[in-house]
Amino acid sequence: MAQAQSPKTNESQSNPDFAREVLPILSNKCFVCHGPDAQKNIKLTTFEEATMDHKGSKPINPDDLAKSEILIRLHDDSDPMPPLDAEKQLTTKEREILTQWVQSGGKYAKHWAYVAPVKSTQHKSIDDFILASLKPHGISLADEANKATLARRVSLILTGLPPEPEVLATYMADDGAGAYESLVDTLLDSPRFGEHQARYWLDAVRYGDTHGLHLDNKRGIYPYRDWVIQALNDNLPFNDFITWQIAGDLLPNPSLEQQVATGYVRLNPSTSEGGAIPAEFQAKNNFDRVETLGTAFLGMSMLCVRCHTHKYDPVPHEEYYRLMAFFNSTAESAMDGNSYDYKPNVLAPRDISDWENWRRLNKALTENSKPTEPKPEIIIRPLKFISKTTSEKIPPKENSDQSKESENKGYSHQLESTLFKDKLEGLQLEFFPGDSAENSKIELDQFKVLLTHSNGKNKVLTFRRATILSAKRGVSVEKMSGENSEGSWSISIESDKAKKIHLELMHEELVADDDVLTIQYHTRDSELQQERYNVSAIDNLIDRGPKGELERLVDTFTTTLVAQEGKPRETFVLERGEYNLPIGDSLTPDVISVVGPMPEGAPKNRLGLAQWLTSRDNPLVARVLVNRFWQQTFGEGLVRTPEEFGLQGEHPTHPELLDWLAVTFQETGWDSKSMLKRMVMSKTFKQSSRIREDVSDPANRLFARGPSFRLDAEVLRDLNLWASGILDPHMGGEGVKPYQPDGMWKALAHPGSNTKQYVQDEGEKLYRRSLYVYWKRTSPHPMMTLFDAPNRETSCVRRSRSNTPLQSLALFNETQRVETARILAERLLKEENNDKKRFDYLFNLIASRNPTSVEYEISNGLLKKMHTRYEASAEDAEKLLAIGNMPRDESLEVVKLAAWTQVTSMLLASDLALLLY
Amino acid sequence: MSQNPQRENDLLITRRHFFGRSSLGLGTAAMASLLGNDLLSSTADASTSPLLSAGTHHVPKAKRVIYLFMSGGPSHHDLWDYKPKMREMFGQDLPEYIRDGQRITGMTAGQKTLPVCPSKYEFTKHDNNDGGIYISELLPHTAKVAKELCVIHSTYTDAINHDPAITFIQTGSQVPGRPSLGAWLSYGLGSGNKDLPSYVVMHAKTSYPEQSLFGRLWGSGFMPSDHQGVLLRGQEDAVLYLNNPSGVSRTDRRDQLDALAAINQAHYNDFADPEILSRIKQHEMAYRMQTAVPELMDISDEPDQTFTLYGEDAREPGTFAASCLNARRLAERGVRNIQIFHRGWDAHGGLPREHESQCKDIDQGCAALIMDLKQRGMLDDTLVVWGGEFGRTAYCQGNLTKENYGRDHHPRCFTVWMAGGGVKPGITYGKTDDYGYNIVDADGNPMNPKPDKSSFTPGAMHIHDLNATILHLLGIDHKKLTYRYQGREFRLTDVHGHVVHDIIA
Repeated sequence: MAQAQSPKTNESQSNPDFAREVLPILSNKCFVCHGPDAQKNIKLTTFEEATMDHKGSKPINPDDLAKSEILIRLHDDSDPMPPLDAEKQLTTKEREILTQWVQSGGKYAKHWAYVAPVKSTQHKSIDDFILASLKPHGISLADEANKATLARRVSLILTGLPPEPEVLATYMADDGAGAYESLVDTLLDSPRFGEHQARYWLDAVRYGDTHGLHLDNKRGIYPYRDWVIQALNDNLPFNDFITWQIAGDLLPNPSLEQQVATGYVRLNPSTSEGGAIPAEFQAKNNFDRVETLGTAFLGMSMLCVRCHTHKYDPVPHEEYYRLMAFFNSTAESAMDGNSYDYKPNVLAPRDISDWENWRRLNKALTENSKPTEPKPEIIIRPLKFISKTTSEKIPPKENSDQSKESENKGYSHQLESTLFKDKLEGLQLEFFPGDSAENSKIELDQFKVLLTHSNGKNKVLTFRRATILSAKRGVSVEKMSGENSEGSWSISIESDKAKKIHLELMHEELVADDDVLTIQYHTRDSELQQERYNVSAIDNLIDRGPKGELERLVDTFTTTLVAQEGKPRETFVLERGEYNLPIGDSLTPDVISVVGPMPEGAPKNRLGLAQWLTSRDNPLVARVLVNRFWQQTFGEGLVRTPEEFGLQGEHPTHPELLDWLAVTFQETGWDSKSMLKRMVMSKTFKQSSRIREDVSDPANRLFARGPSFRLDAEVLRDLNLWASGILDPHMGGEGVKPYQPDGMWKALAHPGSNTKQYVQDEGEKLYRRSLYVYWKRTSPHPMMTLFDAPNRETSCVRRSRSNTPLQSLALFNETQRVETARILAERLLKEENNDKKRFDYLFNLIASRNPTSVEYEISNGLLKKMHTRYEASAEDAEKLLAIGNMPRDESLEVVKLAAWTQVTSMLLASDLALLLY
Repeated sequence: MSQNPQRENDLLITRRHFFGRSSLGLGTAAMASLLGNDLLSSTADASTSPLLSAGTHHVPKAKRVIYLFMSGGPSHHDLWDYKPKMREMFGQDLPEYIRDGQRITGMTAGQKTLPVCPSKYEFTKHDNNDGGIYISELLPHTAKVAKELCVIHSTYTDAINHDPAITFIQTGSQVPGRPSLGAWLSYGLGSGNKDLPSYVVMHAKTSYPEQSLFGRLWGSGFMPSDHQGVLLRGQEDAVLYLNNPSGVSRTDRRDQLDALAAINQAHYNDFADPEILSRIKQHEMAYRMQTAVPELMDISDEPDQTFTLYGEDAREPGTFAASCLNARRLAERGVRNIQIFHRGWDAHGGLPREHESQCKDIDQGCAALIMDLKQRGMLDDTLVVWGGEFGRTAYCQGNLTKENYGRDHHPRCFTVWMAGGGVKPGITYGKTDDYGYNIVDADGNPMNPKPDKSSFTPGAMHIHDLNATILHLLGIDHKKLTYRYQGREFRLTDVHGHVVHDIIA
C-alpha cells in the first residue's frame, strides 16, 4: 500500500534537506534559546553565527566537522543539548538528522518561503506535478468522478451552489470534449461566483457589520463588502484588488471604488468604552492591522513580534513597528464614538444594482456630452381643495423635549384635493405676501404630502429636493430629520414679495383622476392661511437624463468607512507591546526585511506597502494567495497551514507546484478566475473522491483522489434556499436578518448598544444569500457559528470543520430549514405529477443525479410512513406546514405536503446535501 | 465506529491531522477529547488506545469545574475585603502614596478629588479553618459556608476596562481571538456524558443587565468550534434548536434518522469517508440529547428541600438560583465544564441599590450549590469558582454620601473565591492595604506584583496564576496544554502563569 507520510526516507540518510528537514527542528527545538532573539546565548540562525568561535569551540567547525560543538552536545549524556530540563526534547530521528546535517557540512539555506518562487520548467501543468509526485508511490491518479458528480462539485466550488437544472441538463446532454470547460466558463461568469469567492476574502479580512468591542454597535461598511463581490466578479487583477484595499485613497484621483476598497484598513474591531484610553486603542487598532496583514497576505504570524523579536523567524521587534507605522497616521480617531459612520467615510451606492446604475450613468455622462432628447415641457396644473380641516390645539406632549415644539406649532391642518391623471412629478407652492408687516410671515411645519389611491392605499410622498424659483431671500425650505419626520419639510416665508417653490418627487407617481392628494402641516395659530398660497401639481419636473438620474441615485447613497491619511503620528517600538512604554527614536515606515526590500522608488506609505506586496519579488503574497485558491478548490492547501508560511508552518506537500502556480499567477496578470479555472480543469480535481483502497493517505496529502469535505455554513443555508427555489437573487445591501431564536442578542448586549435587539427582517430579505446575513461580531448568527464560521474578530484563512450533535439538531429543527424543506416539497408537488419523478427532481437538486434504487427505496419508505402518520393527524401536518413566514400553498393537500416535507427535510440533512464529493 | 482497524486508524490520523494536532508536544489530556473518550472515568479502556493510558498530566484534584462569573466587577469593598480604617477617612482624599501614580480610568480621571468611600455595610467575622473571615451582611447565605471557601483577596489583572478585562480573564488575552478557558477545558478534558454537551454556559437573570457579554468569552477562538460553550437557556429550547418543529413527534424523528442513516450509509459505501460514519453517530447523540436535556431541565423530581436550600427562585427558569441547581444537575450527569454568567456588577453610581439586588440574586444560590455538592459527596472533586473581571475603587465615583456612592473599576486587587475541588477550605489568601487598593505582604508592605514568567510573587494571584491553578486542579499542566496555530504552541496562560500551591489542599 502506498504511504503518504514519509516518502523520502532514503535520501535523508546522507544529506538532509536543510529547509525541509533541518530548519524545522532547529526552529522547534533550538531557537527557543538560540534563535533570532537570543541575546546571551549563541545564535544558530545563520551559518556565520553557527561557525563563530566561542571560547575555542564552534557550534559548527567547518575545518573539523567532528569537533563541532553541536555534534558533541547532541550526544553528550551528561551535558546534552537541548538541556535535560528543556520542555522540548529531540526525538531520535531528529537527533539523527541534525547529526547528519552537521557531518555533511552544516550548510544553511534560507527558509523556502522567503526565497522568491522559481517556475519549474520540468512540468507544464498541475497534473504533471501531481503525477510526478505519485510515481515514486507506484500509483496514478484515481478515475475521473462521474459526470454529474463532477458538475455538482465544480459548481459548488466556484459558485457555492449546485448547478442550475438547465445548466446541468445542457452539460449532461453535451457529449463533446468541451462540455466540461463550457460548464466551468458558465460558472465563472455567474454573478454567484463573486458572492461565493468574496466570503473567503471576508473571513480573511475579518469583515463584520458591527464595531466588535464593548457596545458592539452598528458599523456602516457594507459597501466595502459589495465592492469585493463586484471586484471578484469583474475579475479585477488581484494586484489591483490588493492595492486598492491597502492604499486606494493614495492613488491619483482615486475613484469611488478605490476609496471604498480602503474599507479594508478600517475593518479592525474598535471600541468607545467609557474610560478607555485613546493611546492604548490607537496601538491596539494598529496591532490588529499589522497582524491581519501578516495572516491574510504574508502567511506570517506577527503576533509574537508585537512584544519581542521573533523566536523562530528572522523578524526583529523593530520591524513590526516599522510595518505598523504605515497604518499609524490614518485619519480616524482611536475611539469609534460608537457611531455608524465612524469617520472618515464616503458616500457609496446602497447595493450592487445601484453600483451598476451609478457606473452606467457616469459612463453615459462622459461618453455622451451632447444633450439627449429635448426635455418635455413642464406642465403645471393648479389644484382645488375639496376639504379642509384644522385640528383642535394639539395638547403639549408629556415628553419634556417635545412639549415646547408642540406648544409653538399648535395646530395641524389637512387639505385634500383630487388629482389629474396620469403622472405627478412634483408640487408647486406659490406664496403671496401678507397684507401687513406683522403677518408677513408664514411658517408651515411638518409639511407632508400623502397620496391616496382610489383603492384606499396611501403613502407619504418623498420629495428629493426643493427649488426656490423666485429670489431666495426670506425663504427657507428644509427637509426635517428625526424618527417621526420622514418625508416632512419645514417651510418658512417672510417677504413682501410673492415666492414660488418647486418640490421635486424622488420618483414619479402614476395617478388617476379620483386619487386624492392630502397636504398636512402644522402652524403656530389656528389660521389655515389658505389665501396666502396656491398649490399646483407638476408633471415633467424630473430630469430623466443621466444627469438627473445620477443625482437622484447619489441622494440615496450610504456612508461607508474608508482610510485617509491624517495628521502624522510618531511610531515607536513598544516594549512588550505596551502602549505606554515606547523605546528609542521615532520610526519611519518600512517592510519586513526577510521578505525583501520595498521596490525601488516606492513611497514610504501604504501605497508603497501595496507595491511591495504585489511586487514580482515578493516571495510570499502570490504563494499565499494561490495556496488559498488551492485550499478552496481541493479542501486543503498545498501548505496545510495557510496562516503560517514561516519556519513554524508546515512545509508544502508539493513545493514546486506551489511555486509554479505562484509565478504563473503573477505572469498572467494576477488573474484569479483563470487560476481557479486552471485548478478545476485539472485531472487532479476531476478525480473520484472515493477513498482508495490502494493508498493509505487519510489526509489526501498526495492529492491522489478528488476533494471531499463538509460544506461551509453559508453554503448549507444557501443550498436549502436554492433547492426550494426561493433564494432571493438581490445582490448587496445592508446585512439581512433571517430567523434567529429569541433573545440571543439581548442576553449579551449592553443596554446602551444599538444591536441589543435582533429585529428579524420580513419578505425576501429572509431568503437572501448567507453572505449577506448581518454579522454582529460578538454574536454572529448561530447557524453560522454552529457550522464553524469564525466570529470575524480576527483574520481567519482556514475554518475548522467540526461534526457535532448540535449541528444535527439545527439541520432538522431550525425555522428556515423547516420552511425551505416545506417549500421544496411544494415545488416537487407542483412541478411533477408522480412520486417517481418527484424523487428524480429532488435528487437532481441535491445530488445532481437521479436516486439509486436503494436511495429511492429508503426515501419512498419514509414518504409512505409519513403519509400514514399525517393521515392520522392532519392537525400535526398543519402545524408543521405553518412554520416560516412564507404562507403554505393552500392548493396542495395537507397530508401529502407534510409527508413530503419530512422527506425533503431528511434528504437536505443527509450527507448527499452536506458534503462536497 | 467502524469495524475496520485500518480505517479506524485512518480516521484518527485524518482528524488529528485535520485539526493540526499532530504535534507530540500537545497535552495528552487533549488527546482524550480528540478521541471522544472519557479520560478520567475508570471505564476508559487503555487497551483500545495507548494514548489513553497516559492520563491527564497529573492526578486531578477536581473532576469538574463550576465557574460563577460576576460580570461587571463586584465590589470587593462591599462584599469581601473588610477595611474598617476607611470609615475614619470618610470623604477625605485618597492618600497620594496609596494611589502611587497608578492609572485610573477616563471616567474618574477628571474628578477633582478621589474621596475615600468606606462600605456602608456591616461585616461580621465568621469562623473558617484559619483565623476567621469578615464577610459583608450582603452575603448572609454565603457566609454560612465560610468554612468551605478559599477566599483570595489578592487577585489582580492587567486591564482596567470591561471588554479587555473580561476577555483577558476568560481567554488569557485582552484582545479577541483566543479560545476561552472553557474551550481549553473542553479540549483538555473531553466529555463525561455523551448525551450532553461537554461545556455548558448559562446566562442568569439580573435586574441590571449592564455591560456586554461576548461570544468570545465561551468561544473556541482558533480551535475547532466543537469546543465552544453550548448555551443552556432558561427558555423553551434550552439548547438551541433542541425541540422538534411543531407537528413532528419523536417517533417521526426516529423514522427520519433511520432513513438518514441508511442514506448516509449508502453514501459511505460509495465514498468510504470515515467522517460519514462519525456524523451518523452525531445524529444519534443529538437524538439522545433531545431527551437528556429536558430530563436535566425538568426539576419536578427535586424534593421540596431542594427549594428550601436554593430558595423559591430556583423554580423560575433563568434565575441564578435555577442556574446553580442546573449546574448541580449537570455535574451529576458528568458534565465537567459549567459556567454561569451573571451581569450587573458594574456599579459606577448607586452601588448600594444595585449590589443589594445583585447579592440577593446570587447569595443563596452560591451557598446552596456548595452545601448541595457537599451533601452529595461531590464537593471534593468539584471546583467552584466565584469572581468577576476586576474589583472596584476605594474612592467614590460621583457624589459620596454615607448611604449612596459609586465605585470605578479597580484592576490592582479584587476578591475571588474557590471552593471544593482540592483547594484548601476555610482559608484566605493574600492581603490588601487598609484601602483595599494595593496588594501587600503579611507585614502590610505594598508588593507591586507584576506577572513574570520566571518568578512568582507569593501572596498575589495574577489572572494567569488563577487560570494556571484552575487547570492544575483539573489535572492539567497549563504549560503542556497547548494548541498549535500559526506556527506557535498557544497556551491559555500565554508564557505566564504559576500554579499557586499555597491554596491547594
